[in-house]
Amino acid sequence: MPNSAGKRFKPTKYIPVSTAATLLVGSTTLFFVFTCPWLTKVISPAVPLYNGLVFLFVLANFSMATFMDPGVYPRADEDEDKDDDFRAPLYKNVEIKGIQVRMKWCATCHFYRPPRCSHCSVCDNCVEDFDHHCPWVNNCIGRRNYRYFFLFLLSLSVHMVGVFSFGLIFVLHHRERLGALHTTITLVVMCIAGLFFIPVMGLTGFHMVLVARGRTTNEQVTGKFRGGVNPFTKGCCGNVEYVLCSPLAPRYMLDPRKKPHVKIQPPFIRPDLSDRQITIKVSDNGIHGTIISSKSKSSLDDLDDKETQPPLPPKADRYNQLKSQMTSSEESSLSGKTHPSTPAMYKYRPSFGTMPKVHYHTAGEKIVMPDDRKTSAILEEGVRGHDYRSEPNLDLPDYANAPLHRTFQSSPLQLDSDPINSRSLSLKQGHRRPEKGQLSALQPQTVTSTPYKSVFSPNTLSNRNGSLSYDSLLNPSISPATANECMAHRGMPSMGFHSPYLPTKMCHIREPEIQRQQVAPTYSPVMPPRGVGRQSPHPRDRDPSPVRYDNLSQTIMASIQERKEMEEREKRQMLHGRSQTHIYAQDSGVFDGAYGGSRDNLMGVGLVSYGQRTPVLRHAGSTLGRATRTSSTSLHTDHSPEGPYRSPAHQPHSPAMPRSPSYSHQKLSYINAHERTDSPRLGGPREAMKVNGQMDCHPSAQGATLSPSRHSNVKKVTGVGGTTYEISV
Amino acid sequence: MAETHSLQDMRPQAAVAAKVFIQRDYTNGTVCQFQTKFPSELETRIDKQQFEETVRMLNNLYAEAEKLGSQSYIEGCLACLTAYTVFLCMETHYEKILKKIAKYIQEQNDKIYAPRGLLLTDPIERGLRVIEVTIFEDRSLTR
Repeated sequence: MPNSAGKRFKPTKYIPVSTAATLLVGSTTLFFVFTCPWLTKVISPAVPLYNGLVFLFVLANFSMATFMDPGVYPRADEDEDKDDDFRAPLYKNVEIKGIQVRMKWCATCHFYRPPRCSHCSVCDNCVEDFDHHCPWVNNCIGRRNYRYFFLFLLSLSVHMVGVFSFGLIFVLHHRERLGALHTTITLVVMCIAGLFFIPVMGLTGFHMVLVARGRTTNEQVTGKFRGGVNPFTKGCCGNVEYVLCSPLAPRYMLDPRKKPHVKIQPPFIRPDLSDRQITIKVSDNGIHGTIISSKSKSSLDDLDDKETQPPLPPKADRYNQLKSQMTSSEESSLSGKTHPSTPAMYKYRPSFGTMPKVHYHTAGEKIVMPDDRKTSAILEEGVRGHDYRSEPNLDLPDYANAPLHRTFQSSPLQLDSDPINSRSLSLKQGHRRPEKGQLSALQPQTVTSTPYKSVFSPNTLSNRNGSLSYDSLLNPSISPATANECMAHRGMPSMGFHSPYLPTKMCHIREPEIQRQQVAPTYSPVMPPRGVGRQSPHPRDRDPSPVRYDNLSQTIMASIQERKEMEEREKRQMLHGRSQTHIYAQDSGVFDGAYGGSRDNLMGVGLVSYGQRTPVLRHAGSTLGRATRTSSTSLHTDHSPEGPYRSPAHQPHSPAMPRSPSYSHQKLSYINAHERTDSPRLGGPREAMKVNGQMDCHPSAQGATLSPSRHSNVKKVTGVGGTTYEISV
Repeated sequence: MAETHSLQDMRPQAAVAAKVFIQRDYTNGTVCQFQTKFPSELETRIDKQQFEETVRMLNNLYAEAEKLGSQSYIEGCLACLTAYTVFLCMETHYEKILKKIAKYIQEQNDKIYAPRGLLLTDPIERGLRVIEVTIFEDRSLTR
């Protein structure tokens, strides 16, 4: 016989409470009827009065403990939990008074349980400050009714002591007539009291200790603070005061009250946008998030007011992006498998057609640093909450505590221009997914803890829309500044190495990758004084883009640019098919097929193969990441320890292992090539190595490293042993 | 008599574009505090100071509600003495503050947030876990 809401009527759960109530009321009634009259006569009328009051107190507390809402949390709305669906990490860490406390995701209630909250399986509710579920009152003991439960225990102990003592007095005075009714009943009452004396007193003593220590039964029993510090304690007196004297907490399970209708109709007032700042936001619970935002006025000026996507380095914004991405059901479905690595990838997919979709975003720490476009954005996330979002492998607990994406470390792989990456991706992988896939693929990788902090070129990376990076293209003056900034920043040894490979254009695409990469960062140097000639093709193609792109999110821009570059590349490929194959052929011998594609890009072209990563990410987690890292490690020895370090982040890192030797071989040659080409390049046009559809190399600036075949759209990079890699641009 | 509605009233509400959730700030324990960090989604819709002021005010109100002061002592004693029957007739301190908060939120919505296409939801409806800010679509923007 269902009672309500589909809950079956289970009579068995009422047995303990009925027994307790019966015993309590019955025994006390018997006491009053059979024992008290004599006591009143012999001792004083105060006896029944006293017992009456105590009994009343017991009953009141018992009723409150039984019928009062312990602090049940209502189920979270669909809207709220959309971000935290099955792909959400199980735990979220929060710092309370300097101590890390874990908040667990409640699958039933669809939110992260606040500290001290626990889900009661009997009541099927999350209860605030959950103590325990008491069968004797058939109710959970939580924040709201703990006081009454505690007082019930205290008063019941006092009552039992009283009943037992007065019964004893009665029996002692009626020893000679133990068979009399009154005496017998008094004896029975005394036995009941005596029987429950030990458990009740024991429980009372236990709770007195808990109250003094400021712990709940749940915390005590699960040993949460064993040997540790309890962040919730207020000192002994403070704890007692809190339990007994704090105001009665409110009920959360309220009837839906009628809300006054608020009319919301456009047009809406907008805030003054004169001083816009691009902020990188990290959603967390206030743990470590150091985000430096860069402000780019030029790009901001074009920014559409409507644009709600925050301009962040993917890492920082991953949480938001993920959420926004995840709101798209189609996107979610597209992402398909629930493979740990995939969600993050899919999450990053720009929602082209779904911009107005509901983007759920939790406010997090955001440190905005006004920037005159020169600061690099360094995103270092200590937010643990993000770990698992981007983390492809949720099984690894280490990562829960691992520092969040350090973000933006440009890997040597990123050297290549994005367009080429995207193109190669599409070419190589058949472009399984739209550019979005690439971006999303980049995401998960970045999560792995990277000790490095890469300098995140503000021009290119920090802004959410690609126009910023584009702006950097158009404004060469920025680059040197950013280059300086970058230099100043991280002190990555191989800054010079990276710079040439950093395609300004693809910064936005690169961002997620950068996060992953622990390689030295410097992007900005890449941006360089671009040789105008080199840029010409792009500006030509791209003139309209700032206007267009500004309206779109960073990811969308990235995808659009990728597509563009892909088209361009395809065009060029047809012309220079030979040079392409040459590059690939060089590498293919070294790396296996699955890897080959990406490797080709990596090594031969010096491009960061974003796209390559996607499949690799999916299958082999860190393999690609490791690959990129190892290449960078050759450059920067300090990176090497991170290589293996990152692998745990992705499921199969072992497969990646065997690769490293071969990889390093290629890597070495690659590095040499870079270094060689790099050094002359350091001061010069950084895009030299960029196989970027947008930019051509500056052979002249590089000196001997590049052949003067610039005009033929084929860049040549010399490698070890004089091997020349031709990169078709 | 038939009620007449102005055309304004007949216009449909703006569509919901996004929702931002301001999470609780647990750095001081389980005291009810909300994070005052300005979410980036609201950057284009409202001033940072304005929003932070609202959240700070809410935090202050909640702190006042949970304060262990004379009011709460008296209430506790009275409840004990009357075997908690006082709760049937009297409103607790916390409930009074909650009403104040509801009124404050209503007023903020009417004056500040609704004209900007935003709507604050009373956190009590979410179990004091989040402040839900609903962002409405701004169709009037041409860009």
